[in-house]
Amino acid sequence: MASPKGHRIDAHPIRLRFVGSSRGFEQAFLQLRGALDGEEKKPDVRSRYNIELVFEEIVGNIVRHGAPQGGELRIDVSVDISAERIVMTFEDTGIPFDPCGRSAATVARTLAEGADLAEAPDGGFGLKIARAVVSSMRYERAANHNRLVIRLRAS
Amino acid sequence: MTNRSIGFCVRNRSSLVGRLDTPGVAGIELRFTATLVPRAARAVIDMSEVEFIGSMGIRMFISVARALSKKQGRLVLYKPQPMVEEVFNTVALGKIISVQPDAASALASVRA
Repeated sequence: MASPKGHRIDAHPIRLRFVGSSRGFEQAFLQLRGALDGEEKKPDVRSRYNIELVFEEIVGNIVRHGAPQGGELRIDVSVDISAERIVMTFEDTGIPFDPCGRSAATVARTLAEGADLAEAPDGGFGLKIARAVVSSMRYERAANHNRLVIRLRAS
Repeated sequence: MTNRSIGFCVRNRSSLVGRLDTPGVAGIELRFTATLVPRAARAVIDMSEVEFIGSMGIRMFISVARALSKKQGRLVLYKPQPMVEEVFNTVALGKIISVQPDAASALASVRA
């Protein structure tokens, strides 16, 4: 499969490497969708939606908030699909951020009972949305990299 | 190749077509907001052809609904696809923005 300069994609599992910019994110999302279209073990419609949802929210978070001062933000994503499970792995060179931690839980927003439109938060929903379709998340920080392994709920 | 595969069409009712992921929202938000907010629209949006939404799409709807409510306008969404509706439910969007199953109930809601 042809891929833009600076991007790489292999057949199985799906592997993406890209710069953590808006453009890199957009191109990588297109590559992910193309790879899912060509996937031998095609995920069902719901699993596919959930893969794209987790990619959108986790990578979006890294791109918007993870850039290290003075360094390049690089992101590696792999998606391993089998009949039994879907595992997504995210590695990045951004600032440390544990989406499984307590501080992340407090920013995983939902709209409270009796919420008022004028006072409702208009951001911070991404982790809440991703967590809803995830069965497990494991985070580690090593060698100046964030590494997040996510197993999706079976549909 | 572009991922900005979202369209916005305004006739008697408005519809969004495509994907409300980060690139999609980046491509449509300005036009969506500029079309509805200045005229304090009571807007009903057909969601039936929106195949994907993430948090940036939710943020866009809340932002536009808030701007409209300040001008006595209103935003009502109707007929979301099942998985889009699940994302709405995950963040409880229906608590602050009316989400209706069909056009008739959306029109009733926007006039209420």
